[in-house]
Amino acid sequence: MNNKQFLSELSDKCQMGADQSARQVEVLLGVMEKIWQDGDSVSLSGFGVLEVKKKNERISVNPTTGVRMLVPPKLVLTYKPSSLLKEKLK
Amino acid sequence: MDNKINLSQLAERLSQEGGMSKAAAEQFVKNFFDIISQRVLSEGLVKVKGLGTFKLLQMEDRESVNVNTGERFTIDGHQKISFVPDADLKERINKPFAAFETVVITEEQAAQLAGMDTETENAPAQEPAAKPAKAEKAKAAAKEETQEPQVKDVTQKKGTRCLLKIILWIVITILVIGLGLFMLWPVIGNNVLEVLERDYLDRNKTEMVADSVKTAAPVQEVAPVKEAAPEKPAAQPAAKPAQQPAAKPAETPAVKPAAKPADQPAAQPAQKYPTIQLNSKDQAKDLSEFTMDDVNNFSMEGVLATHTLAKGETITRVALKYYGSKKLWPYIVKYNNIKDPTKLHEGTVIKVPVLKAK
Repeated sequence: MNNKQFLSELSDKCQMGADQSARQVEVLLGVMEKIWQDGDSVSLSGFGVLEVKKKNERISVNPTTGVRMLVPPKLVLTYKPSSLLKEKLK
Repeated sequence: MDNKINLSQLAERLSQEGGMSKAAAEQFVKNFFDIISQRVLSEGLVKVKGLGTFKLLQMEDRESVNVNTGERFTIDGHQKISFVPDADLKERINKPFAAFETVVITEEQAAQLAGMDTETENAPAQEPAAKPAKAEKAKAAAKEETQEPQVKDVTQKKGTRCLLKIILWIVITILVIGLGLFMLWPVIGNNVLEVLERDYLDRNKTEMVADSVKTAAPVQEVAPVKEAAPEKPAAQPAAKPAQQPAAKPAETPAVKPAAKPADQPAAQPAQKYPTIQLNSKDQAKDLSEFTMDDVNNFSMEGVLATHTLAKGETITRVALKYYGSKKLWPYIVKYNNIKDPTKLHEGTVIKVPVLKAK
């Protein structure tokens, strides 16, 4: 399911115009991004948690050439599905 | 930081910024995530532009080992949901660390890092990477040795010379400090001795007062205690340096109790050596050091000052403040007719008498 399909289904479900729903999605993503940049996480029951985690720096080795590299630390957006959703997978 | 934003909070913010009613916003957010979770299950892939891709992954069976028992068992294959954030979003999230870049590590840096690893115990993920680094470092060192033995010799010589220099320096500084201490010893040493002596004297005094009480009481204590007592004061004045004020030995009870115990009435010991029940330990210690019969060396004439007791202040503190000696507290007690110097209250006004030697 790509973005187009997703947006159309969302606008159907919310009974909105496609334009309006697309705009609201943009606003929602902006809001969430602000939340993540503040270091907070978005937690929704039945869906899961979207949060930013810090990955430590590490040394990686290229297995073929043996060249070692220092990979810098980074902030990564992670998703952890809720146990409810995991239960549905089985 | 570290707050969990839930559905209603998210909806509230959305309604504020997107101009929707709160109920509509909540419904919208709910639908948004419902569609993702439903479609990921039914279609296996949901792409949302600006957020990322949710994907259903099939995990194969795999073998694992129970860490405790060493038993082998298989983890059954299962499905899991993965999420890969949008490239743009990823970049924006990582903005605080964007300045860092992946660096290729040279030999020396690797050695440094390996050293750091053993010291700081980094994340386990890093260790496997660090280990080969160490191994290679050793290899590199071996190579160096075989290739350039002369160069190494030179560096080694330099190293030993450097070490010798350092040792020499340390020895010299120790000598200098020792010499300085030796020269200054008369000054420092005397002070130290004085302090030690005073401590010793004070301790002895309390002991002796206790002894004299015992001897005055009808129940006679064994002789050795009595014998030991007079010996001490005899030894002390001799050891005392000349700098100490001449008046001091006279006013201290150290010498007195040894001479007096006989003429003290048997009933007095209780008053003379106050039985003390105090809230503060200091006070008990301070007061026990000297006794009420010290009030004979000076006469009290007129008021030197009036003093209001602060919280936690004792009579001995007041004596120290006005006379420069804690030992003179009994005069204040006598002058003010204080019945129990151990039970004084904050705010009590005390008259401090002028003392004149008799």
